This record gives sequence, structure tokens and C-alpha cells, in this order.
Amino acid sequence: MGLFGGSRKHGGIFTFNKDDGYLEALLRGFRKGILSHVDYTNLRQCENLEGKKKQQEEQKDKERFNIKLHLSQTDYGDFLSGEPAPLQTATIEEKATAKMVEEFNQIRNQAVEPLSTFLDYICYGYMIDNIILLITGTLHERDVSELISKCHPLGMFKSMATLSLVRNTTDLYNTVLIDTPLAPYIQGCLHEEDLDVLNIEIIRNTLNKAYLEDFYAYCNELGGQTSLIMNDILKFEADRRAINITIHSLNSNELNKDDREKLFPTIGQLYPEGTSKLARCEDISQVRQILEVYSTFRNLLSEGVVSGDLSLETSFQKHEVHLNRMAFEDQYGYGVFYAYFRLREQEIKNIIWISECILQNMKSKIDQYVPIF
Amino acid sequence: MIQLFALLAAAAGRLITEACPIYAPFFGAMGVTSALVFTVMGAAYGTAKSSVGISTMGVMKPDLVIRAFIPVIFAGVIAIYGLIICVIIVGNLGKTTANYTLYKSFTDLAAGLTVGLCGLAAGMAIGIVGDSGVRAFGQQAKLYVIMMLILIFSEALGLYGLIIGILLSGVKDDYCPGTPLAPPAAQ
Repeated sequence: MGLFGGSRKHGGIFTFNKDDGYLEALLRGFRKGILSHVDYTNLRQCENLEGKKKQQEEQKDKERFNIKLHLSQTDYGDFLSGEPAPLQTATIEEKATAKMVEEFNQIRNQAVEPLSTFLDYICYGYMIDNIILLITGTLHERDVSELISKCHPLGMFKSMATLSLVRNTTDLYNTVLIDTPLAPYIQGCLHEEDLDVLNIEIIRNTLNKAYLEDFYAYCNELGGQTSLIMNDILKFEADRRAINITIHSLNSNELNKDDREKLFPTIGQLYPEGTSKLARCEDISQVRQILEVYSTFRNLLSEGVVSGDLSLETSFQKHEVHLNRMAFEDQYGYGVFYAYFRLREQEIKNIIWISECILQNMKSKIDQYVPIF
Repeated sequence: MIQLFALLAAAAGRLITEACPIYAPFFGAMGVTSALVFTVMGAAYGTAKSSVGISTMGVMKPDLVIRAFIPVIFAGVIAIYGLIICVIIVGNLGKTTANYTLYKSFTDLAAGLTVGLCGLAAGMAIGIVGDSGVRAFGQQAKLYVIMMLILIFSEALGLYGLIIGILLSGVKDDYCPGTPLAPPAAQ
């Protein structure tokens, strides 16, 4: 009955539901609430962000002109109630993220090992973004409380409260970062003198590389269906980062070839041959040539203009959404938890995109969101 | 030595032959042990697991806790099944006037094991169903009826074991062929 110690694995077909069955069921209920094709159609037809007065969910009015109204018909419900007019997209994003965080906390609070560790790993990604934000802000002498309000709520860690004492990056490193769960990633690859403005992106990429490799190792330790699903997702993530790093560093001279190669994660499909080639390439056409061999990326790069980052990023997002949707076809693994929260993030991005298009009257671009279900 | 055994047997009023050996009560006693031990393990698992769920949902919905208490009752009933069959088997063991044949002892062992292991299975099922059920019930009160139904079906598994156990332990056998170890106490 799982009473004995050792590296805790989750159960298989017979024993998964003992500890994680209820939470998976809850998660699949949440998944039902992700906006569907019909909801997006309604949202696209909106004229403005809010109505003249707030309506409840059972409104039968035929005038469906606004985002707030439409979102109240979905699982989002009244999340924008009480917001003063005029509504801004930043507010929508904040409230939608708060809803996602509430769902995450509901699951996290009831999770036992090893699901709780898995969910913590999901948080580490957000923590890295928050830390980079804090470091950048500290270097630019911003106020700490203002920075904290901009941090992603899933990536909070306890020693954030001590940030007000930090005066320079040495303090940041010694007092704050060491206490976070990310300390192993930081200790492995950073030193105090690295924390200055020029290297912020390098720090971000190094931390992300360490995090992805650690997460990948943990998923494989869990084994079973978790490793099956998560391997595909994490490998794609690693390859995506490698390609993005390559494309961004093609135009800048700060990163030499060896440094660039050190930033590529070692878990992707492109490792080791593709990454070594990418490290040495000089322009976009070479990148395309290298990626021709890999069927996934050949298709992604052929859609749209390669040099415009926007369409490449959209192709990556589409593929990621595809992988995350596939995770739901599987059972007795933790892949669904990761996939759900990534899909929620994508949905929030979609809502923000549509809202911005409406606000700025750029209806032609409104179809460039990534459909999920 | 043989006279000692004969004296003991004679004092107890039991006949010791090939078919009613001296060690026959061992199996009956093991039946008692296995019945109670396994059903109590099942009941313990059921109680513990469903209590975690009740505590989790009770924080947010304290009014529903009384109704959510059902799985703990069902788990306790499993242990009562074990108790029932133990009382019956101990009654069989303790008969001083009838002979305790090997056949009887085997059926008592079978009865005990049946009730015990079926109770263990039922207890585990009640635990997991109770845990998920009360957590879901805390969020959606309409799920109460279906949770009860699933719990009843899980309880039925233990009941099947009890039925067979009672049938088995009700077997009557008195036939002790073979030469007795010592002459029966005919004085």
C-alpha cells in the first residue's frame, strides 16, 4: 500500500487512482472549461471590451458586443465583475491568470507525493521568469514592491519578502536566490560576477537549460505514462529554445559559438548533432537547411516567413498545443497536469491577443490566435 | 508420552484418530486469526483513506461532514463481518462434546480466509471510493446519492465473503474413522 520509502513512483493501471484519481478527475473537469471554437467565434465578433452594465450568466440579450459578456458565459464566469470601466487588457490578463492560479492551488493543496513534486516542477519555470524580472529590475534601480506586483503568482517563493533588503546583485544572490528551490540550478552555472546587465539573457537561458534537464530526469525517474508523455513535450521545448537562441544570436555579436552551444539543452531531438550544427551557423538559410532533416521542424519552418519571429513563434505554439492536447488522450500519468496549465497559458494569450486587436481596431489580425480545442 | 496425550484427549472429551488428529484445531485457529486480521486491515485502510478526504473537504464545508461520514461507517462494518465469523468459528473450536475433524478444521480455515481477504478487498475499495467521493461531494452536493451507491456495491464484496464464510463454517462433520489414539473416556 505504498507505506515504504524509496523514490516514490506513481501507480500504474491498478494503483494510480489511489492517490491521484480524484485530482486527475478534477483536472479533466477544468479542462472542459477551456474555451472552445464556438467561444472564440463569439469573442472575435465583439466590438468592445465591456458593456454599459454588467450582466449575469443567464442573460438572454441578443446584443453580444463585448468580451466581458462573452467570457461570463464560459467557465470564467464573473471574474471581471467589480472592475472599474474602462476595462484594460492588463486587467483581463491579471484576472484570468488569477483564476488559473486558483485552480492550480486547488490541485496542489490536495496533492501528495509524487504529484506534489511534479507540480512544484511546473512552478519552477515561472520562478525562473520572476527571478530574471527581479534581477533586471534591481539592476535598473526599480522599486522592489513594484517588481513583486509584476511577478507571476505561480512563481512566488518565500524569500521574496526579503527582497526589500537587497541593494545590489551580490546581496540578491547570497540572501535571496540561495534559499529558493532553484538554488541547485543557480549554483551549478552562475557566479556573482555573472549577474550584470549584459548577461541577463544568458542567465535566463542557462537557468532554463538546467531546469529542463532536471525536469526531464525527474519525469524519467517517475517512469510509466508520465515519462512517455512528458518526454515528447520537454524535448520539443528544448529544441524550441535551441532554435530561438540561434535565431536571436544570429544578429548579435555578444555570443560566440562556444557560448551559444553551452546554452542549448541536451535533452532535445536536436542534441547532439543538430545543436552542434546550429551553434556554428551564420544565417537563416543555414538554420533552415539544418532543420530540413527533422520532420517536425521542416513543417514548422515552411509555414510563413522565417525571418519574421511572429509566425515562427506561432508555429511553435501551434505544435506545442498539439502535443499538449495529445497528453489528454492518455491516462495513469501526470502529463495531463502539465498539459492543462500550458493550455491555460495559451488561452490567456489568445484572449489578450483578441482583446488587443479589438481595442486597437486591428480586426484583420484577429485570427492569429492559436485554437486549442 | 502416548498415555499423556490419551489422558489429555480423554479429559477434553475428544477422540483422536487419523481423521481427527491432535493438530486439527490449528487450522481452525488460523481461520479465526486470518478472518479478524485481514478484515481489520481492510477496515483500517478504509477508515484512514476516507478520513483524509473528509478532513480535506471538512475545512471548507463543515456542514457536510456529518453526511460525509458514511464511508467510515461502511469500513467499520467490514470489521464487524470479521468479528461475526470469528465468533462462529471459535464456537466450533470450543465444542467439547463433538469431535473436531480435520475436514471441519479445513472448512473453518477456508471460512476465515474467505471473509478476511474479501473484507480486505472491500475495505480498500471503500477507502479509495470514500476518499474521492467525499472530496467530490464537498464540491457538488448532488453526488451524494451516487457515492452511497458505489459504497454499497463495494460493501457487497465483503458481504459475499461473509455469506460463503457462514456457509462453510456451518458444515457439520462428526465422522472420526480410524483407531483412536487412546480409548475414549468411557468411565
